[in-house]
Amino acid sequence: MKRLAQELSLEGQPGAFAASLMNSSADLVARASEGDQEAFRLIFERYSRPVISFIYDLVSDRGLAEELTQETFVRAFRNLGTLRQETKLSTWLFGIAKNVAREALRGRIRENRHVDLDDKAVLDLTDHQPVPVNRLLNKELNDLIQRSLALLDDDKRLVFTLKIFQQCSYEEIAEITGFSIPKLKTDLHRARSEMRKRISPYVRFES
Amino acid sequence: MKCDDCQNLLAEYIDGETIDTEAEQITAHLITCAACTSEFEALTAEQDLFARYDRELEITPAMWTAIQARTAAESRPVVSSSKFSPREWLIGLFAAPRFGLAFSGAMAVLLAAIVIGVMYLRTQPQIAPPGEVVIAHPPGSVPPPPIFETRPSPVKDKAIEQMPSPYIARSKNSGGSKGATLETSRRPDQNDVLFSDIAYTEIENKDTTNHIAQAQNLLRSIRSIHLDSEADEVDVTYEKAMSRRLLDENVVLRRDAETSGKYPVKALLGDLEPFLIDIANLPDKTTLKELRTINDRAQKTEIVAALQSY
Repeated sequence: MKRLAQELSLEGQPGAFAASLMNSSADLVARASEGDQEAFRLIFERYSRPVISFIYDLVSDRGLAEELTQETFVRAFRNLGTLRQETKLSTWLFGIAKNVAREALRGRIRENRHVDLDDKAVLDLTDHQPVPVNRLLNKELNDLIQRSLALLDDDKRLVFTLKIFQQCSYEEIAEITGFSIPKLKTDLHRARSEMRKRISPYVRFES
Repeated sequence: MKCDDCQNLLAEYIDGETIDTEAEQITAHLITCAACTSEFEALTAEQDLFARYDRELEITPAMWTAIQARTAAESRPVVSSSKFSPREWLIGLFAAPRFGLAFSGAMAVLLAAIVIGVMYLRTQPQIAPPGEVVIAHPPGSVPPPPIFETRPSPVKDKAIEQMPSPYIARSKNSGGSKGATLETSRRPDQNDVLFSDIAYTEIENKDTTNHIAQAQNLLRSIRSIHLDSEADEVDVTYEKAMSRRLLDENVVLRRDAETSGKYPVKALLGDLEPFLIDIANLPDKTTLKELRTINDRAQKTEIVAALQSY
């Protein structure tokens, strides 16, 4: 997770190479906004993984997450000129991704194609005894987290995924979501409690 | 530091969001308090668990290819830094044109835009050129429902009547019979059609219209509390709750408006936001003075009139 956070920001990295500096986010944005496709490809390579992960956490659908990631980068390309210098590229991209995902979710709700997730149905593990965390298989763990995440409401899921998985600061989350800091703190606190409540029956932490 | 204070700040401490003095106090407290240390370890273990979450997502080359295909048509060539050469320019004038990928892509996008545009226009009701009067509804008559409405209801009709559809704009300089509603039309913006889903634009407009109507009601309700009440304190719990909900909506809609280039809507929602924040932050039992301040500012900025004219 820390490695991911470091990848997102080249600024302040000790021993950054000259080549890296040439390909700093600001430089890539400047080149891409002049129509340089190669610079935009580098932006895509650098940020596509966090963006698709973020979108997947919001929509819980692999195919849709891929489509929406494409849409996010197309919109980013079209609007590169509007990116302010003081805004971090990752923050800006997450902001676009959030809007794209929200539009898709709204459309899905309007079309009644969404599935109401039910606690019992979703977390239907056969063995209800808590398993030591180190004995939980990766697949089981992934399913458990993904399904618990899907049960959070939109705002809590948004804040939780940005903080816990994308390691954004409160200021960045506020910029991406438009929420006030007190609201996002409350949402995050509640999201953590809900996640703990849903995961703890299945996982036992051992010191 | 007390255990309660420590436990309230533990998550922020782990997130690195506490200020330095708080962090120092928590660190010192954790050394001496077993209960808080246990809570700290549980939170850290949860963080570690979430760090193991693997979505098994792949970035396929096809994704970049698809993005490239969509953006290639829009990318401008990078300006060459080489010196201007009259000879090369002359040769270029007589050279055969090269139809590369970018040109083919541009043609494909243009063709798709024309097809979408034609299909879109065919699904719309007949509209006259700008400035021309299309429909004059006499008072009491019911205007025909828009095509996206499947189950017309009085409430919805009212909302739609107030809605500034991108295709039907309301004329303020009616000059016609008193009380008659005059509607003029303008052509849909082709860029809007390309940029976003038409259905979504309709939904967004409807959401914004409903939101603005509710915000107007809220501001009027605050005004009426102020005028009618003789008590020193007024209970505004309901207005606060409503304002909080509207504030969340407002932020989303304002950002959506910005993303889709609807700057007047964005500006209007931006003007509304401080009022929603102020009302949301009022104490449950608020004084008339505080309400009066909000009302005065609302009158000065003419926010209700601006919302009304939307």
